[in-house]
Amino acid sequence: MTHTTDRGTGVPITLTDLRKDFGASTGTAAVDGISLQVPPGAFLVLLGPSGCGKTTTLRMLAGLENPTGGEIRFGERAVARGDGTVNVESAGRGVGMVFQSYALWPHKTVQGNIEWPLTVAKWSRQERRRRVREVLGLLGIEELAGRYPGEISGGQQQRVAIARTIASQPEVLLFDEPLSNLDAKLRVDTRAELMRIHRATGATSVYVTHDQVEAMTMATHVALMKDGRIEQFGTPVELLAAPRTAFTATFIGAPPANILEAQVAGARLTVAGRDVGKAPAGLPAGTVHLMYRSSGPRLVAEPVERCVPAIFVDQVPMAERWVIGVEIAGGTRVSITQDVPTRHVPGDSVQVQLPPAPETCFDLDGERIPAPSQSAREFEQQQEPV
Amino acid sequence: MTATSAQRRPLAQGLARAGTLARRPVVLLAAGTLLVLVILVVAPLLGLVSTTLMAGNRDAWGDVFTSRMSANLLWRPLGNSLLMGAATAVLSTLIGGFLAWVVVMTRIPGRGFIAVLATIPFALPSFALALAWDSIFRNDLIGGSAGILGNLGLMVPDWIAWGPVPVALTLTAHYFSLSFMLIAAALAAVNGDLMEAAEMTGASRVAVARDIALPVVAPAVMSGALLAFAEGVSNFVSPALLGLPVRFHTLSTRLYGAISTGDVSRGYVLSLVLIVVAAMVMLTATRVTGGRRSFETITGKGGRRRSVPLGPWAWPIAGLAWAVVVATTIVPAVVLVASSLTRRTNDFASGLTLHYWIGGSDPAMAQGQRGILANPQILQATWNTVLLGVCVALGAGFLGLLISYVITRSRGPKPLLGAMSLISYVPFLIPGIAFGAAFIAQFGAPIGPLPSLYGTFAILVLAGIAATIPFAVRSSTAALSQVSRDVEESAVMAGAGLMLRLRSIIAPLAARGLLTGGVLVFVQMVRDLSLVVLLATPAMPVLAVLTYQYSSENFTQLANAVTVIIAVISVSATLLSRRAEGAAQPWNEKA
Ligand SMILES: Nc1ncnc2c1ncn2[C@@H]1O[C@H](COP(=O)(O)OP(=O)(O)OP(=O)(O)O)[C@@H](O)[C@H]1O
Ligand SMILES: [Mg+2]
Repeated sequence: MTHTTDRGTGVPITLTDLRKDFGASTGTAAVDGISLQVPPGAFLVLLGPSGCGKTTTLRMLAGLENPTGGEIRFGERAVARGDGTVNVESAGRGVGMVFQSYALWPHKTVQGNIEWPLTVAKWSRQERRRRVREVLGLLGIEELAGRYPGEISGGQQQRVAIARTIASQPEVLLFDEPLSNLDAKLRVDTRAELMRIHRATGATSVYVTHDQVEAMTMATHVALMKDGRIEQFGTPVELLAAPRTAFTATFIGAPPANILEAQVAGARLTVAGRDVGKAPAGLPAGTVHLMYRSSGPRLVAEPVERCVPAIFVDQVPMAERWVIGVEIAGGTRVSITQDVPTRHVPGDSVQVQLPPAPETCFDLDGERIPAPSQSAREFEQQQEPV
Repeated sequence: MTATSAQRRPLAQGLARAGTLARRPVVLLAAGTLLVLVILVVAPLLGLVSTTLMAGNRDAWGDVFTSRMSANLLWRPLGNSLLMGAATAVLSTLIGGFLAWVVVMTRIPGRGFIAVLATIPFALPSFALALAWDSIFRNDLIGGSAGILGNLGLMVPDWIAWGPVPVALTLTAHYFSLSFMLIAAALAAVNGDLMEAAEMTGASRVAVARDIALPVVAPAVMSGALLAFAEGVSNFVSPALLGLPVRFHTLSTRLYGAISTGDVSRGYVLSLVLIVVAAMVMLTATRVTGGRRSFETITGKGGRRRSVPLGPWAWPIAGLAWAVVVATTIVPAVVLVASSLTRRTNDFASGLTLHYWIGGSDPAMAQGQRGILANPQILQATWNTVLLGVCVALGAGFLGLLISYVITRSRGPKPLLGAMSLISYVPFLIPGIAFGAAFIAQFGAPIGPLPSLYGTFAILVLAGIAATIPFAVRSSTAALSQVSRDVEESAVMAGAGLMLRLRSIIAPLAARGLLTGGVLVFVQMVRDLSLVVLLATPAMPVLAVLTYQYSSENFTQLANAVTVIIAVISVSATLLSRRAEGAAQPWNEKA
């Protein structure tokens, strides 16, 4: 690579019980006490459904929003404290942010957009020119330098936004759903591009998305968020292999794992009134949630053991396999992956055979019941160390 | 943050927190602009009230409300004011509504041109129409020369030449524009998809008109009527020019009379009465239109997909519509120009002359007054007027930008923001002439070490800024909404401070809207009479006041010529701004 000069050093990021409460009117806090730590150069993805507080967290890291509780540290340095005693301004934090809307300055050319922050930071003219050429080259957009943002395509605007952000060599790079305005193909290309930029700059990156595929491909660390809290924090593989809650299990994976409501009685499990096998040791009597990955259940022609009746809904090709969607009693959707498409038409009655044991069980609150099944452990062992 | 958590927090931390908050630039900015607003808006009003409560002035309340004079001083003028307000409201709504219907719902010839002409009267000074009326219909009741009709040998009855009828008609000719714009915009909105969607449900035409069209148009009709009412109640110049000669007094002319003859405290009391009446009407208008959007300029947008078939009525209706717009725009313009060229006032038989424009002093004509372009006082006044317009536009524009920025962008302390948006709205409720009185009450006498501002240029500028701040805030807010939050925050991330952001990012991006708002304020100042009539002095003349003086001294040609100059300045400013708008944002043209 010719751009090794670019490689700065990231900083570790530490969040301690970070909170943001927008005021009494909203009822609950937008960010409700999150704690995590990532090493220098990490690629942290904040993942979660709409409204879970991802953007708010990112904006607190950027210094655009002041926390109302907890602390943010970049390395040894506290940059914000919820008690208001420390609130370092954005410019003093060494952060750069790529906005979802790109937020380019429409009255400045591409060159002007990239150069202005350096001017504000009082770089010398010579340094600025050199650096602008360098980042234009890094993003491959030299020929756009003289154009206005209104005169370039969405993908090109995205590159300009990235170039502008990395120009001042921030130690922390922040991205708020940067790919959501791009079409599907461009999104895959840009994803690779972003990872290249991340490696080239060495900055610690925090990336917000609600797309779990993006998270799984890019992250070194994932914080899965729900209602302002962290549901689970870990590497992508950890989240996929050992979901701690039913929410994680249904959010991660393509297709995500199936969660079925079951009754435990006399060491047997029943789903929709059908016996589906022996209850794993340690399950309390009553209602529980069972997790089956989509590779587990099978469509069968005749009702056999561990069978549940279902209605065929749809099928989608995915990576040379087929994801069959069916609905069992109570409207619960079950995804089944198989090698060949089925001939059923939507509305057909079908039979689904469940594997001998669920991979994981969760209680009614969605917490994992601490009896990780054999298959889950095997799955973890199959993965290569990262 | 809840109160309990604040109490639990140690004091030192609370102080540190307050410290960081107070040092935030936007908090300083908010506090600073609020202070300016208080000085410009709140202080004069308080000055007005407190002056009337000072020992020696307190009798004024009794004089105005309960003495033998009250009938003449207060009650009859109040009745006349309300009458003029009601007449203006009713007539403006009828005429504006009729024209709006013609323009939006019919296909009569020249609709587009009618739409343009119907918006013009509002852009002209309101005394232009009063002067034009005077030039045509004046009779010899009060001596002096007659109007054009009189000079042609026609007898003009007194009730047409003077008093409530001409006052109400000239006010209507000015304010029907407002009703027209509001109603046309609402009608255009109904006339498209909304009506079609309703008719698809199978409802009858009557049901559609009653249940869909009427409710949508009603707020526009109501708010147009209420705004016309408020303007009619408080207008100064029409009753002053056409009513005073026959002792037709309104609150505005009474308070002007009282203050200009030294009877200041009674004038102030009358000002307060006028403020209360006008504010009540304006507040109702705001209620009716649901929020403070009522004075937003709405340009009619044509979704003219359908039209009402007029049959044999087409030509009479077209003729009527044309007559109305021509009579309120082209006729007055021609009359003002032509009458300024007559040798003897309004008498074309006496021959035409350019004397009143460029002539030197000639004792035989207008008591030796020079032509306006040769008169240093007029040139001085023109310069003052333009400078006043520019200063007020810049001042109000700058202040308006800061206020709207603080209100919409900063997350400063809530009570501070609430106070700002309330105070910056108050001047909208106050008639110009009462505002002028308030400024004299507050700044007309020395305050501590500060000298009296009476008769200075500064008091004109300050009053102008205060009076136009609601419009400036409104247009800045609209302009600011063109700059997305992200675009500004990315400048924050780059380390740009508040002032640098305002200068390098916000101002250039909002330039178009800011310019339009600035020109609006400029035009308003240039053609305004009621605000400045009490504040301008012979040593510090402005054009509108000179027009008024010329007219009351019967120098009709001179008054009309000056009015033409004012109209030319206003119209050219508007046209220039249209051009400049394009030039201000070159990056938009290529896109
Ligand atoms: N300025 C604000 N004032 C009040 N509430 C806010 C503000 N900004 C965000 N919120 C609330 O905080 C919560 C979290 O918002 P946030 O924008 O962080 O969600 P998000 O995870 O980014 O969602 P999305 O995926 O839809 O962007 C939401 O309930 C939102 O309504
Ligand atoms: Mg978001």
